[in-house]
Amino acid sequence: MANARISVVTLVLWLATGADALAQRAPAYASQMTFFVTSEPIGVGGNLGGLAGADAHCQALATAVGAGDRIWHAYLSTQARPGQPAVNARDRIGTGPWYNVRGEMIARDLAHLHGDTLELARLGNNLTKQSALTEKGQIVPGLGDFPHPRSRDWEYAKTTPNSNRHEILTGSAPDGTAYDAAIDYTCDNWTSNADPETDGGPRIYGGAGRPNAQIGFTDRMGGGDGSWNSSHGTRGCSQTALVLTHGIGQLYCFAVN
Amino acid sequence: MTSKSLMTLVAVWLAVTGAETALGQDAEEVPMTFFITSEPIGDGGNLGGLAGADAHCQRLASAVGAGDHTWRAYLSMQARPGRPAINARDRIGDGPWYHQIRRPDRPIVKSELHGDTLVEAQRGSNLFKLYALTEKGEIINGVGDPLPMQHDMLTGSRTDGRAFTEGPDRTCNNWTSSDEGTAQVGHSDRVGNGNTSWNSAHATTGCSQADFATWGGIGLFYCFAVD
Repeated sequence: MANARISVVTLVLWLATGADALAQRAPAYASQMTFFVTSEPIGVGGNLGGLAGADAHCQALATAVGAGDRIWHAYLSTQARPGQPAVNARDRIGTGPWYNVRGEMIARDLAHLHGDTLELARLGNNLTKQSALTEKGQIVPGLGDFPHPRSRDWEYAKTTPNSNRHEILTGSAPDGTAYDAAIDYTCDNWTSNADPETDGGPRIYGGAGRPNAQIGFTDRMGGGDGSWNSSHGTRGCSQTALVLTHGIGQLYCFAVN
Repeated sequence: MTSKSLMTLVAVWLAVTGAETALGQDAEEVPMTFFITSEPIGDGGNLGGLAGADAHCQRLASAVGAGDHTWRAYLSMQARPGRPAINARDRIGDGPWYHQIRRPDRPIVKSELHGDTLVEAQRGSNLFKLYALTEKGEIINGVGDPLPMQHDMLTGSRTDGRAFTEGPDRTCNNWTSSDEGTAQVGHSDRVGNGNTSWNSAHATTGCSQADFATWGGIGLFYCFAVD
């Protein structure tokens, strides 16, 4: 009951502020943009076509809004494999500073983005619900927004831009590095949309030793910590499994130049 | 196993499974032990000292039936001749604390709140906008919400929850001034000033209600139950 009350309050706040106006805010600085959240997922769960496929998705979306002259990389780690070292998301995105489509700075540099020292980490970066915009300038709906009984159902979520989808794929630890190779947190280095076996019941669970991807939150709310890049794993790697915990497979994209 | 470590385990399990669901309905009941004042004292940074601020917490808690706890305002005091500093984090007990929704699986953990280890500081805590509620369960208006913005929370504290040891006054003269001085504030919605700090985002430029308003606050603060 209390949760329902909060959701109603949030919905009222959204309506009062004009959710449509927020969603349609025109991109003002696309040519100077060096950070965005993908406005759409690739759509086949954790199978992004590897890092190359994810980078190409970032590049295509950036190009569509006139920001294709930069080199874009997805913020994703891959885990070590025999003969193939791990790749850390933080090592793929240049050195910053990074700005969203409205010219707001997300972080000054890698240390600010990740909180490399205690003081930097306690203060935090400037990646918030208000600043983590898509390349089109849209706020990503988050916890408490547009409550709907089918918000965890991809068949519903794909029909609307207005359902909670605050989980962003990263496959990364809080410091922006890859996880140990022994436990998959990257949907097999972004090539798999397999789900774990069920435990006999209807629910599937990800976590250590099962197919899943580590995610962070655009709205910095949920998962017990509100981490932007490393809160918890998904239930599985299929598109429908990502939605079970309120993500649709969106990515953070950073310009490396 | 202590209840604190049990709660931590529950939180870890939920984090691992990614369950952002109302599991609390079947779990044990927890009392509200954390809230944001639904109203300010109203005289800027003059709260009547720590005693006045604590009494405000206690009065608001009592009004919603939570007066059986001992409440403390999350405020630091700076050192004065013959009197040592008081750190906000040392005033509020050990926790874990629970916000007004009272979800057992969403504890506010002291070390996570203050980022005592690097990984805790990087990840964050359960103090975020939807859970940073008043004693009545209201969300505080923040960035992007209808004006007036009320997200500035008086703390007088550094990010680690301790008093400032150098530089200008950040406590409105230890919460007795409504004109001179400044107050260090955090943001209940974790948005603003280029950081996401809940307890030490920036300083105000004065200690009047009018000055607070120019920064996005009305003089609200955090209250924690020590028991």
